[in-house]
Amino acid sequence: MTGKENKQATLPDNMVEIEIDDKAMVVPKGSMVIEAADNNGISIPRFCYHKKLSIAANCRMCMVDVEKVPKPLPACATPVMAGMKVYTKSKRAIDAQKNVMEFLLINHPLDCPICDQGGECELQDVSMGYGRGISRYVDEKRVAVDEDIGSLIATDMTRCITCTRCVRFLDEITGTDELGSIGRGDRTQIGTAVGRSIDSIMSGNIIDLCPVGALTNKPFRFKARAWELMSAEGISMHDAIGSNLYYHTRHGKVLRTVPKDNEELNEAWISDRDRYGVLGQDSDDRVTVPMIKQDGKWVDTDWATAMDFAVRKLQANQAKDTAVLAGSQSTNEEYFLLNKLFKALGCENMDYRLGQTDFSAVHSLPRMDLSLDDIANQNQIVLVGSNVAHEQAILGHRVRQAWLKNQAKVSVFNPKQYNFNFNTFHHYVGTQVDWVKGLGSLAHCVADLVQEKLDDTDTTRWIASQDTDENLNNLAKQLIDKENNVMFVIGQVSNRHPQASLIKSVVAWLASHTNGKVYEMATGANSVGAEICGMSSQNNVTDILDSNAKSFVVYQAENDDFADAYKAHSVLDSADSVVLMSSFADENMKQVADVILPIGLASEVAGSYFNNFAQSQSFSPAAKLPEESKPGWRVLRVLANMLNVDDFYYDSIEEVTEAVNHVKVHPGHITLETMFKDIKSSGLVLFNETAIYDVDMLTRRSQPLQDTVHASTDNLNINSIEATKLNLENAMSVTVKQGDVEVDLFVNIDDNLPDGSVHVHKCVGFNSHDLNVEIVIGQDMGEAS
Amino acid sequence: MYQVNPQENDKTLAHELLSKETQTHIDIWLAKYPQDQRRSAVIGALHAAQEQNGGWLSQEIMQAVAQYLEIPAIWVYEAASFYSMFFTEPCGQHKVSICTNISCMLNGAEQIVEHAEQKLGIKLGETTEDGRITLVREEECVAACVGAPVMLIDGHYHENLTNDKIDALLNGLEEKA
Repeated sequence: MTGKENKQATLPDNMVEIEIDDKAMVVPKGSMVIEAADNNGISIPRFCYHKKLSIAANCRMCMVDVEKVPKPLPACATPVMAGMKVYTKSKRAIDAQKNVMEFLLINHPLDCPICDQGGECELQDVSMGYGRGISRYVDEKRVAVDEDIGSLIATDMTRCITCTRCVRFLDEITGTDELGSIGRGDRTQIGTAVGRSIDSIMSGNIIDLCPVGALTNKPFRFKARAWELMSAEGISMHDAIGSNLYYHTRHGKVLRTVPKDNEELNEAWISDRDRYGVLGQDSDDRVTVPMIKQDGKWVDTDWATAMDFAVRKLQANQAKDTAVLAGSQSTNEEYFLLNKLFKALGCENMDYRLGQTDFSAVHSLPRMDLSLDDIANQNQIVLVGSNVAHEQAILGHRVRQAWLKNQAKVSVFNPKQYNFNFNTFHHYVGTQVDWVKGLGSLAHCVADLVQEKLDDTDTTRWIASQDTDENLNNLAKQLIDKENNVMFVIGQVSNRHPQASLIKSVVAWLASHTNGKVYEMATGANSVGAEICGMSSQNNVTDILDSNAKSFVVYQAENDDFADAYKAHSVLDSADSVVLMSSFADENMKQVADVILPIGLASEVAGSYFNNFAQSQSFSPAAKLPEESKPGWRVLRVLANMLNVDDFYYDSIEEVTEAVNHVKVHPGHITLETMFKDIKSSGLVLFNETAIYDVDMLTRRSQPLQDTVHASTDNLNINSIEATKLNLENAMSVTVKQGDVEVDLFVNIDDNLPDGSVHVHKCVGFNSHDLNVEIVIGQDMGEAS
Repeated sequence: MYQVNPQENDKTLAHELLSKETQTHIDIWLAKYPQDQRRSAVIGALHAAQEQNGGWLSQEIMQAVAQYLEIPAIWVYEAASFYSMFFTEPCGQHKVSICTNISCMLNGAEQIVEHAEQKLGIKLGETTEDGRITLVREEECVAACVGAPVMLIDGHYHENLTNDKIDALLNGLEEKA
């Protein structure tokens, strides 16, 4: 036993000792009483306090009794002091808490039986502990008018206790400031500035933050009670952060998604895409029974017949004439077996990079020099071809936090001026051709500053041929400053760019000359898993579509996944046979396929995903497979047995997972020696953008997401200068041509686009390889609308 | 502490709706605060905008103020809806606010309100048909308890009110040209 003095003496400078409810604890100086209590398992009731948000101290629920202080204090806003003695259960504390509770319930409606929050409501829980059985309040209760804030969040503002968690979240985390406290005193209401919707791409988190039923999940409304739901852990199916989440299911069907805390990855948040994307599961074109095409008509059948049919189709052609094209949201186990099966058969045509256009560099995993947590320490961040939050919402959040907390300067090279929720230091916007040259100019400036000769590789010679620029020179000086921590983010706009390899090698060159770190984004939730499991063969998807492959296996993919959807469709259409293994089959796929084997989504099967950091995260099935659908790995295993492939005796998913774990993972790298193609565009340069909710089969089918402002449009976006040159006006109907593809679009004037550029969403059907389009002004303008 | 986030760089509405005079006035207020605390200029800016807009703040002009100050529209709306000196709906030429806070209430403010309502034929928060007078809803303490009951007419204090005094004051409110 050491004396008290000794113990005090050994405390580090930044810690103090306090007592809560007679329990001694050592806590960081400057932290709040409520944090100390939370970390030591002492519960204090609260509504407005949240560990990830600033302190508001406006609900007053967390009143505690502090020794030598004449009145109760709010635990969330009272800093700890050495020797402080706090009582959370004393009469004074409990009285204060009960009195606050009574005030909070004064205006709260007694509509728990019809409230979605019922059963998982913080107000309900706390009022069980601290509320009076019978209300003493006899006057009229306040009511609030509900606003329509969009397709994702339902409002019942009469239930609001004005804790302002939602207001603070939208100010501090998303930076969109869409909600505020309107009015004064007891009539204060949370509302938007005049009937606007909430358009943040992380907005759904305010549902979880809301301690009452004021903000609830709109698609989930009146679907189920909290106590009827089963909870199962899952991993995001829409981006490669691998956000951890819980699927809430009833009768084996996912009804909603909520985040699971993981400090390393998604903290306490998930993006709206991760929250609502899974709702695409119920789409009308979901396939749930095996089907075969007979005389051009689809017939439902049983598994045995369909498998036989598929085997016959596959055996009809040689393996070298067979090609496997997979989407990027299947599990590692499925990729592993898919690869193993077709490799054993001798097939060398496999790819998962369906949306990629440039394959000139040797492919590897995405290069990743840092963890998400390291981003907080970066103070020079360069986003290269990225609308960061739309691509990986959590990365966008981390970049914003670096800007907020570490005063990071964020520079951007993009084909469009995106509205970011952080200030930009250098915002370089140019056409799809020009912004890459801008990046080259930056590299040239860096080379000049560090006196590096630029003649050893094609990339450096290309850099040398770019102009230098005074503004970029300023950025270059910041980047080579040894004091600065530099990070480059290669985004999905780069990944899909026809010069992706050049962009990446320039970034790699920049990183090596600025001591910078590279965060190379993966496109697709489990493209890293697909890569690790060997799904990128010698022949890439472009080669395959150009080859004479006769027989195709399309695995959890569809037309819109391809960089050139038109070509993919015509190649598949003229193929001898197409075996479609998928959860969905739209009209296009039904037209080209011969047999459909219905398989489960990642939320319905067991398996694992590799995230962008090559960490494997596994999950169990959350939902039941609909009707006769089967897990993909089982179908592949049986298919292998029927095709007489050796060494295919996996009885359980664990055995496959085990095999995946033995696959050697080579860390991602970017080669500096790349063959690259020069791209040419005459006239306006096309930026063919994949919209945030068009990234995969599920998000395309999630109606709540498609009803938001971020959904893709059939607009032809162009800036006002170019529009004037071509006599285009807003909402005018035009025909846009690219090769054989002709699409009718509506003109939308958008000055976020650079001169010389036109922008469309990829779903309208253009080919991402080609930067040329031709605009034909509509003939019957009077009728077009 | 709130965070000042990047705003859209569009000031069309601000330049369209705010007069030169209003803009100059707002500039004076903006100059008083550091850039990251420009939110503080909102009250001064709203006064100027309200003055320009005939005594009340329309949604559009609040939006214009937000654009001009480069702050979220919601912050402007919050301030405008909080203070009784700002009007988010069209109101009369003269604004009459009768304090109903504790000192005034103990000195008969409720009776004063009743008298004024009777005389003008309107309730608190309403405007006379001729658009001459608005009775401001729920004015809180105006820090003149020594002269309770108190009312403000267009920002000027009138103390120790009686019914006769109110009659004289209200009758004296001319219709503006």
